[in-house]
Amino acid sequence: MLELRKDLFADERDDNLKEIGKGTQRQDMLGHVTGTSPYFDDHKLQGMLHLKVVRSAHSHARLRRIDTSEAERSQGVRRVIRATDVPRNLNTLLSLINFGKDDEPSLAVDKVRYKGEPIVAIVADSPREAFEAIAKVKIDYEPLPAVFDVEEALKPGAPVVNEVYPKNTFTYHETYDRQQLRFGDADRALATADHVLEQRYQMSPIEHAPTETNGSIAAPDTNGRYIVYTSTQALFFSVDTCAKILDVPSNTFHFIGGTVGGGFGGKVDTLTEPLCILGAMLTGRPVRYVFGREEEMQYGPPRGAERIYIKDGVMRDGRVVARKVRAYFDSGAYTRLSSYAAVKCAAHLPGPYTIPNVHGDVYCVFTNRTPATAMRGFGVTAMDFAIECQMDKLAHLVGMDPMEFRILNAYRDGDMKAHRREAKNTALIECVQVAAEKAKWPLREEFKRMSSRKDGGGIRAAVPSTPRESHAPPVTPSQPRTTYDRAPAASREPPPPPPAPPSPPRPSAPSHGATRFSSVFGTRRR
Amino acid sequence: MPVTVKTFTSTHDAAAALSSDHSARYLGGGTLVMRALNEGDISISTVVRASDQAMTRVDASGSRITLGAGVTFARILAERDLAFLHAPARSIGGPAVRNMGTVGGNLFAPVPYGDFTVAMLALDAVVSVQGGLGGREIALEEFLQSRDRQAGTLVLAISFAKPGSADAFRYRKIARIKPKGGAVITLAAHLPVNGSRIVGARVALGSMAPTPIRARAAERALEGRALDASAINSAASAAVEGTSPGDNALASAWYRREIVGVHLRRLLSGQE
Repeated sequence: MLELRKDLFADERDDNLKEIGKGTQRQDMLGHVTGTSPYFDDHKLQGMLHLKVVRSAHSHARLRRIDTSEAERSQGVRRVIRATDVPRNLNTLLSLINFGKDDEPSLAVDKVRYKGEPIVAIVADSPREAFEAIAKVKIDYEPLPAVFDVEEALKPGAPVVNEVYPKNTFTYHETYDRQQLRFGDADRALATADHVLEQRYQMSPIEHAPTETNGSIAAPDTNGRYIVYTSTQALFFSVDTCAKILDVPSNTFHFIGGTVGGGFGGKVDTLTEPLCILGAMLTGRPVRYVFGREEEMQYGPPRGAERIYIKDGVMRDGRVVARKVRAYFDSGAYTRLSSYAAVKCAAHLPGPYTIPNVHGDVYCVFTNRTPATAMRGFGVTAMDFAIECQMDKLAHLVGMDPMEFRILNAYRDGDMKAHRREAKNTALIECVQVAAEKAKWPLREEFKRMSSRKDGGGIRAAVPSTPRESHAPPVTPSQPRTTYDRAPAASREPPPPPPAPPSPPRPSAPSHGATRFSSVFGTRRR
Repeated sequence: MPVTVKTFTSTHDAAAALSSDHSARYLGGGTLVMRALNEGDISISTVVRASDQAMTRVDASGSRITLGAGVTFARILAERDLAFLHAPARSIGGPAVRNMGTVGGNLFAPVPYGDFTVAMLALDAVVSVQGGLGGREIALEEFLQSRDRQAGTLVLAISFAKPGSADAFRYRKIARIKPKGGAVITLAAHLPVNGSRIVGARVALGSMAPTPIRARAAERALEGRALDASAINSAASAAVEGTSPGDNALASAWYRREIVGVHLRRLLSGQE
């Protein structure tokens, strides 16, 4: 049963909206249950050709020679598209908002960086004839050492996955190999905490597994335009991406989307549209390019794997006083959207808790794996899993009830968040209280009386003094932490010198006359 | 070259079309062949079908049961006389796959599929095939050992003796995704009891080799003994003998070898 807590959200919601808590029919439900919803693949156009791509058999290899002569003579083949046919064969998705460098070709040039990378596209009368031609393409590979582990990829001497980013890390703010968060002095707080707990969390890639695989149909229209039926979940994003790659104005295209047969983030990468339209441009015929199921599963971008280390300092009374996080996002061979995921992750630290000392390093790392992309809360979901596992372990460590432990550490209205924004409209305490009540989980009276609107602000609103990185004490050597107990004091380093005053904010480029610093894009060019 | 579909009314003609063309594949329910074609398998150029009613016949009235190769899993689930086969039939795919998938096709299903065949192997089933030279019967085990070379033969039916009692036949599929994931391993056992002794024990395993296999060492451990803790122990510890599982996305070979005895113990002792 849904319940709207108006006592908490009185100012937040227009009472004239009468949708929450009601069984409202989805607007697309009738079409779905009667099987009449139109999808991109419902268009069978006269003279339609079929495009399939030849995919790399290696995770990392130089392309010595590509011989398509036999494939070109194969029955039913209308056109073989090679890398040189793509007008601008290098792109990165977020270049549309000036974030990141172009790093991914539509068809591989010189080398392949993940198993399944498209090398050549075949346009034929039927899918079958395209498959038969694919079997006739001869590619001479020179296999290169590959790297599949995010931390291995950062070691000196690791194979360079993508020459655009020779250190195998995305470049933030044109300078940094990671997204950083510094708030207070985490090292010093860890040195004086009653307990320190360091844990490692490892996620796996997750495939979106949409019922409808990625695909599109492009057809020449009048006046030199192209009509494109597509499964994209980001229609205008896809229009502009295609305009860039094909080097034409975006009004060349009439994109028709609509029903997406399952997106979940896996249909923003615009993987089929550029080649599909190029096929239509080169043949003058409608062209259809749709992923098979195995292509979707193996080479469609997944949610990226993340490796997360969290080191927390907690006092006997249950207050978390320091949280130090090191996270590695496995972007695969190209950036796609993982750069942005890492930014979101850093902005989310340290979770919905008021912790006075937070230190975050979030890396977007390139490996020879299938490029990762968006999926449902990416950048935050895995980190939240790690943080909440950690919160349970910390509660156990100090002998507190895990629900009360969260209430104690929850942020409250007026608190300063680690990225230096005041917390507003917080409701974690109430959420935990309601969850406990529904689950008949006993909370002590004092925790039942706590509120997000009380006891926040004040000294909790202060930005703690944050040492400059160069003055920061050296990272304490990792101590054996086989139990939850605090290590003996003798093994600790002496307290660091008093922290330097907080560094002035970075100057940011003026935008529309106002000086604003974007926590997402930093010094973003306008 | 486009794909040609050839439909015959007689199984004899269908078998002749199959055996005369290396690129021909018989289409039962299409859950394997159409998948391969859709994924671009260009080794198949001819699809052969047979509309003979005998292919979909179920004869379950007597002590010897015969299932036509074209009998679907949904059909088995609808037959009260085949209640002992409902567990293996239900363990295959979702409703759509069970509506189309056939007993005959399952004989060719590669790891991690082919669960029904594991059940058939434990029942000492015999396969009736129509080759280019005529009809014959082959023991299922022998059929599976030469499965790679059987693409040109047409399976007509599969037959086996009905288990003497309800608990003589046991089946278990270990999957990570329920109810329709591929198998980590599959186990079936037929343990006919004479007096209090097991006579003619059969234990079959799926995903423990490229095709379903019999666990002969486990069978020997059970043969002539009562199904007590000591017999179960020795069968469980012998389960892995003679197996050659592979790695796939569902489990590693090591993991399969580790768990096969555990699950055989549970199967034999009736644990959930």
